[in-house]
Order: sequence, then structure tokens, then C-alpha cells
Amino acid sequence: MRNLIVALCCTIAVTGFSQEVQETFNGTRIVNGHSTETLKSHILQFRISHRFGDMAGEFGGVQQWFGLDNAADIRFAFEYGITDKWMVGIGRSKGTGNPYSSLVDGFTKYRILSQTKDNKMPLSLAVMGATTVSYMKASSDLTQVSSFPDFAHRMAYSAQVLVARKFGERFSLQFAPTYVHRNYVGLNDENGIFALGTGANLKITKGFGLIAEYYHVLNATDLRENQGSKNSLSVGGEFATNGHIFRINLTNSKGFTETQFIPLTFSDWMEGQFRLGFSITRNFKL
Amino acid sequence: MQRLLFIGFLALMTVGITSSVLMDKGNTESLRKVILKSRPIAEILEELGDRPLNHAIDKIDPEKVKMGEDLVFLGQTTINGSASKRISSYFVCTDCHNTTREFENIADDDAGDRLSYAINNGLPYLPASTFWGIYNRTTFYNKDYVKKYGDLVTNARDTLENAVQLCAKYCSSGRYLEEWEVDAIMHYYKSLELKLSDIQIKDKELSGIGDVKSLSADRKAELIDLIKSKYALKYDATFLETMPREERKYGEGGNVKNGEKIYEKACMFCHENKRVTYLHLDKSKLSAQMLWRNRKNWKDKSPYQIVRHGTYSKAGRKQYMPLYTEEKMSDEQLNDLVAYIKQLAGK
Repeated sequence: MRNLIVALCCTIAVTGFSQEVQETFNGTRIVNGHSTETLKSHILQFRISHRFGDMAGEFGGVQQWFGLDNAADIRFAFEYGITDKWMVGIGRSKGTGNPYSSLVDGFTKYRILSQTKDNKMPLSLAVMGATTVSYMKASSDLTQVSSFPDFAHRMAYSAQVLVARKFGERFSLQFAPTYVHRNYVGLNDENGIFALGTGANLKITKGFGLIAEYYHVLNATDLRENQGSKNSLSVGGEFATNGHIFRINLTNSKGFTETQFIPLTFSDWMEGQFRLGFSITRNFKL
Repeated sequence: MQRLLFIGFLALMTVGITSSVLMDKGNTESLRKVILKSRPIAEILEELGDRPLNHAIDKIDPEKVKMGEDLVFLGQTTINGSASKRISSYFVCTDCHNTTREFENIADDDAGDRLSYAINNGLPYLPASTFWGIYNRTTFYNKDYVKKYGDLVTNARDTLENAVQLCAKYCSSGRYLEEWEVDAIMHYYKSLELKLSDIQIKDKELSGIGDVKSLSADRKAELIDLIKSKYALKYDATFLETMPREERKYGEGGNVKNGEKIYEKACMFCHENKRVTYLHLDKSKLSAQMLWRNRKNWKDKSPYQIVRHGTYSKAGRKQYMPLYTEEKMSDEQLNDLVAYIKQLAGK
């Protein structure tokens, strides 16, 4: 362990004087999940995210105006850069209702390594930890997860290592090994879930890019299949302007935070159960 | 033989003493020149009978100089053991002002000379005038600044303290300074005042200046005018309109090397890694293509528009881009910049 820490410190020291690669991703998120980017010091970001209902399938189509009549989830958040590499955030989501609603989440993210232009450091690496707590009224049906016998049952956590590289000026790729722990789950479910996330960004112009993200759950596959769980897959486009980033996407996930969209995605792209979503961020310098 | 040796000894002594006296005289003269050249111009002018500067400081206080330097570079300092309140959340003075010499010939404000000096001395190419020598200037926010700040410039034009307040409150989207902060900044400016050695003036032209009391009133007036003609008492600011499309050369005939330096020392000084702004600009094709694509527009992303108009501070986005006046970036330099952008964009 000591050797690892020494090696890490040496790496940081060696790359300390090299120029860092900028804008591996345009924002702190790719679609649902985090990117290796952090907010700069003293920047407060206000974020609004929205997911509509199913575009097609049983609950979509023209009667639901392709999902626009429904709101699968909505999240408001304030996020802040404490230093150029360390950020924190707090958010509130409506929740998908399956099984949670009324969620408050908080996270912290630290960028340990930054890719350098001279390739002395070929990758950017960040770590992220998040927690969510549901303050919904507990269900009286004790067979439900949302019955929350103890307060701790309302909580879930996630931890991620985000590793990204920008290839040239336009293309960036990220891998995100993730662990999600829910304190209280159903009979045929697993508390701890491992997933591997991948995300990519292709910049068409300085201000417009295509984004894609996929989280593959690695364990409890049989259990998950039985309860109809799916892996989260999202594609979209992003428009970055001075102080704003506007993203529009199609995703089969309803929830936002890692504790929601990784273990609790049940919609199937092949059955038209994908939805339109967007997020808008606005930066304020404090 | 003895007599011969004695005569020889006497001759040597004479030569030695004479040369020593002559050398001493030369050294004294050089020393006097060095002392004279290191004297502050403001002090010399006052001695010659010129009206003292409005913001004259008799004795410089090193502690205040340090505090002033902190305020200029960091936007805050330490007072009574605690950190002072930041002047602005968005800018520090050195985002727009250098604190060193900016011209080879400081009597002039030629943009070409300023760029060459910046290139040769590794300085950023900033939209505002340097603080070096600001103590010796007599008017501020000159010419067209009234177009941007209206009546606010009235009291700032002839009073450096008021000019500092205007800059702190409006130009840096900050707050008015407390009295001790203005005082500290003034002492810092005093530490950057011009010395006689900073101006290009011949010794011959200064004859008699070593003994001011013996000079006639006419000679004193002549010397005052002469010294003042060797440095800028003010920097004019000419606001140009965005160049009409038919006049834009889009880089044709432009000096790409100059343009590259302007891009590095002006654009990237603030935009690289979003240092002062939210827009990141680097020497990538994507950055250049964005600017090149908008070259014909009247939008902020057009180099022709943004250089001449900048952007404005507004609620929710207080940080803004100041404009470059004609004196700080000539139309020719703007064309050089566009020529470089064109090349970088691969067009």
C-alpha cells in the first residue's frame, strides 16, 4: 500500500509541470453518470435534469405525446468546485417511484490524475462517492422495499473510479468501475452491485458533441433478470455555450443518481421503453 | 645617479597623483549621474517647480506597498492577521493590466511597439494599460471610456484614487475599496513610478539639472517640458466599431506569426483552461474553427466583434470580456490574428 501511495505521489509530481488536457468531457456528467471532469474552484453550478415518460411501447406513443405528458424523474441540484480538482454536490429528485421517491442525494468527487498533453500522464482519473436517502412516507406493506423498517434502510451508496482519455481533439472515452450498495433490498435482490460503466463523447464542433453511455451490471445477473432489470444505455447530444451546457438524450433509465439508474433500470430499449431527457447547467462564479 | 632616481620618483608620483585625481573626478561624475538617473521623475519635476501630482505620496511605506501588491495580484491581502475581503470574485487587476514596462519607447502608445515588447519580454498582451508608471500619469479613462462608463468617468479622469475605485467597482465587477486599500494600492503604484533612467533622454539635454537652484525659470520650464515629452502622461482609448464586412480582410496579407503571438498572449491568457472565463480556447482546430466560422458574423464569437466590443457584465454572469481599443490592438493586428485563426482552422 505504501509503495502504491509513493508511486502515485511520484506520478503526480512528474506530471505536475506538464500541461493538462482540457475538456475531456464538456461537463461533470456524460449522460446520467459522472465524467472525470470537476468544476473549477469557486464555481457554483445549478443543474436541472428531467426524464420524460416512455416514447413508445405500452405507455408511450401518440396518446402520451411520446412520453412528454409524463415525468419519469426530475432532479434539481447545486454543485460546487471547492478546488479545481475537488467538487461536491447536493440534489433532490422526484424519484421514479419504483421503489423510491422523494430522494436527496449528495456526492463528492476528486480528480487525482489529469491527462497531460505530452502524454507523461496518458489518462485522467477521478474517484466519486455518493449517497442517496429517500424521505418518502414509508409504506405500510412490509413486503415492500419502501416500508423502511429502519432509517438506514432509506439509504444507498455508490463509489466509482472514473478513468478517461481524450484521443485527439474530438473523441474521449471513459471507463467507470462502480460499486452500488443499497442498505435494504427485496427478497430476490442483491445489496451490493458491481457495474462497469463506459462513456464516450465525440465533438462535432467546439460547442456541439455526441454522447453515449452504457452501464453493465456484473453480478447478480440471474436475480436481476428475474425481476426484469436492464442495463442502462443512453445516447444524446450536448450543446455547450458560455456558462451553460444543454444536453438532450434518449435513455432507458428513469432515475438519475448511480444508486438509481444502475440497479433500478427496468425499461427495455427494444420494447420502445426509452425516453427523452434533458439537463441544463448554469455556472455562477462565487 | 641619485639625482636621476629622485627625479624619476618625483615624475612617477606626479603622474600617479594626477591620474588618481582625474579618475576620482570621473568616478564622482559617474556616481552623480547614477544617482540622478535613479531619482523618481515626479520628484525631479517637483523640484523644477512643476505642480505636484494630485496623488503625490511623500514617503513610500514598504508595508503598504506589499499590501497594495497583494490587492493587485490576488484581489485581497492580510490585515491585522486576517485575510481581507476579496475586491472581486471575477477578476484581479492583473487579468487586464501588466505591472511592468510595455513599450521600448514609453513616450508612444504604438500597438506594434507594444506587441513587439510583449513578445520580446514574455508579457501578456492585455486590453488595459500597465500599472508601471501609472503614478506619473495625470489623466485616466481617457477619450472614449465615457461611451462605456458615462458620467462615472468624470471624477475618475483627473484623480487616480477615483480611477482605482471605478476600476474596482465596475471594471472588475467588484466593490468600492476601503480607504486603507486605496492607500495601499497608491503606495504600490508609487513603487512602480518612473525613474529618470526609464526615459530615453541624453545627458546633454539634462545639463544643469544637477544644480536646480542655479537654473533660470525658463530653463526649468524647458526641462519640465522636455522630461514630460519622454513618457506618456496619459493613454488614449479609441473605441472602434466592429469592422464592416466589406472592410474585413479575413486574414488576407496578415502576419500569421504575429497573429499566433496575439492569440497566445491575448486570447489564451484569459481563455486557456477557462482561467477567467467559461470559454476554453486553445491552439486546437476546434477552437479555431469556431472563431473562423463566425468571422462574418456580428456575434461575440466573431473575432471582429468581440475584440472591438467585448461583452458586458450582467446579472448572473458578472465576468465579461473587456474590449481592445485601437491603441491596444490595431486593425492590422486584428487581421494578423484572423490570419492565424484561419491557418489553425485549416482553411
